[in-house]
Amino acid sequence: MSTFILPVGPQHPALKEPTSFRFMVDGETVVDADLRLGYNHRGIEKGCEERTYIQDLYMLERVCGICSNVHMTVFAQGVEKLMGIEPPKRGLFIRCLMGELERVHSHLLWLGVAGHEVGFDTFFMYTWRDREIVEDILEMISGNRVNYGMQTFGGVRRDLDEMQIKKALEGIAALKARTPYYLNIGATEPTLVARIAGVGKLPKEKALELNAAGPTTRASGVDFDVRKDDPYAGFGEHIPFNIVTDEGGDVLARVVVRAKELMESYNICEFILKNLPAGEIRVKAPRKVPEGEVVSRAEAQRGECIHYIRSNGSDKPDRVKVRAPTLANWPATLYMLRGGYVADIPIVMAAIDPCLSCTDRMAVISDVRKGTEQVMDWEGLRRYGIEFHRKRGIKL
Amino acid sequence: MSLRLGAMLPEVLRHLFKKPATVQYPFQKIGVPKGFRGKPVMDPNLCIGCQMCVRDCPSEALEIHKESESTDEAGKVTKRFSMTFYLDRCSHCAQCAEVCPKKAIHMDTEFEDAAFDRGALKLTYK
Ligand code: SF4
Ligand code: SF4
Repeated sequence: MSTFILPVGPQHPALKEPTSFRFMVDGETVVDADLRLGYNHRGIEKGCEERTYIQDLYMLERVCGICSNVHMTVFAQGVEKLMGIEPPKRGLFIRCLMGELERVHSHLLWLGVAGHEVGFDTFFMYTWRDREIVEDILEMISGNRVNYGMQTFGGVRRDLDEMQIKKALEGIAALKARTPYYLNIGATEPTLVARIAGVGKLPKEKALELNAAGPTTRASGVDFDVRKDDPYAGFGEHIPFNIVTDEGGDVLARVVVRAKELMESYNICEFILKNLPAGEIRVKAPRKVPEGEVVSRAEAQRGECIHYIRSNGSDKPDRVKVRAPTLANWPATLYMLRGGYVADIPIVMAAIDPCLSCTDRMAVISDVRKGTEQVMDWEGLRRYGIEFHRKRGIKL
Repeated sequence: MSLRLGAMLPEVLRHLFKKPATVQYPFQKIGVPKGFRGKPVMDPNLCIGCQMCVRDCPSEALEIHKESESTDEAGKVTKRFSMTFYLDRCSHCAQCAEVCPKKAIHMDTEFEDAAFDRGALKLTYK
């Protein structure tokens, strides 16, 4: 068998963001796949150490354009835990509402992108048209269409009035009537089904072993969802919902899971809007955060989003670490690509809804064969960083 | 569920007779909602120069300067402050408006703020 390596990226017309793939191909078949990350290091984590907590909120909101609210939520609830404050119930409900509305916009966006990747642009246009409904709701509530800036320490920044609740419910009802149609198309349009059924297979054991996250793992039959397994904000005791899973483990199953999750999210939104508790939306938060460390997580639309925050008692964090869900899904994606066709690469990758720039942190390439791997402690890393910049003539 | 060829076709045909989902911007505009976060506008009559807005702005888009200080016969000191605002750095988060203790800042509803010249994006309120 003769194979050759097909390099894709870091700059490639088919990639929207920089990353580097190496596909070992035998004719049309992908024999092996490898990935190099680290081309889009934005210094966000270091930036957080230089700014105050309140400034970091807005900075972390910009880790991702699609899951902006989730990063803000995870950071806010982590810092709240350190501060020892608890947002009022109304604030928590609105926090959940924003998360679900964001999931709706993101899943509709993804359905369109998936359609586009397999050449079904009609699907793309209709889902994106309907996505405008939820975008309008988000804009009405928060004052912006992308970075909502709704979360803050101790609750949320804006309240909902009766008029907004009414309008939001109308919008949700329209989407609720519309979404089963997409589910139906996804499952009955023969050209679409033929294109995505059986493609990018990920069996349940592999999903667990490779630690896949979000709809990717749920489409392989793993019923993991942070909203259920480690409830945050209003989830758990107050807000009812079901985890959607599918046994298919292919791209079709991922389409089905996301479409059904949309229906679940509409139900959650309706429940929140109809049962919004009265009272305050936020409590006062101190400027300085007591010493300590915390791990905070939430279910982003792409999977589990984790932040680690360490505080030294001042108004600036000592360390912030962000793990975006895409990072968890890369090993599974490489598995899915193996044995598939070259022509399936775009849709298999799109099916995890990847976000490369959100995932990228500083990467150190170590040569395993030469044994150049090393472990550094905090002080060592600091010294290394200072040396690194000095050598390049940067005054510190 | 059985497979149907051209399952989306009826929908597509129906849409031939519907009005477009988009508007002809810039000739037609759909407007923005009430709480839209445009750019911050500062009222110098209300500002007390506490610098809270400057401290909290995540984008370093604001500066507050003392313009004048006067003392009247009764010995009461009146200070006036101006704000220099860099629209090219602002991320429209409205944190400045939120933190201002005197409600001297509000967000306007302008959304066509782009300019060819960066200098035009430096605004002064005094
Ligand atoms: S809106 Fe935000 S970024 Fe803009 S000036 Fe105010 S605080 Fe700064
Ligand atoms: S926060 Fe308000 S009062 Fe204080 S300096 Fe800024 S504009 Fe003036």
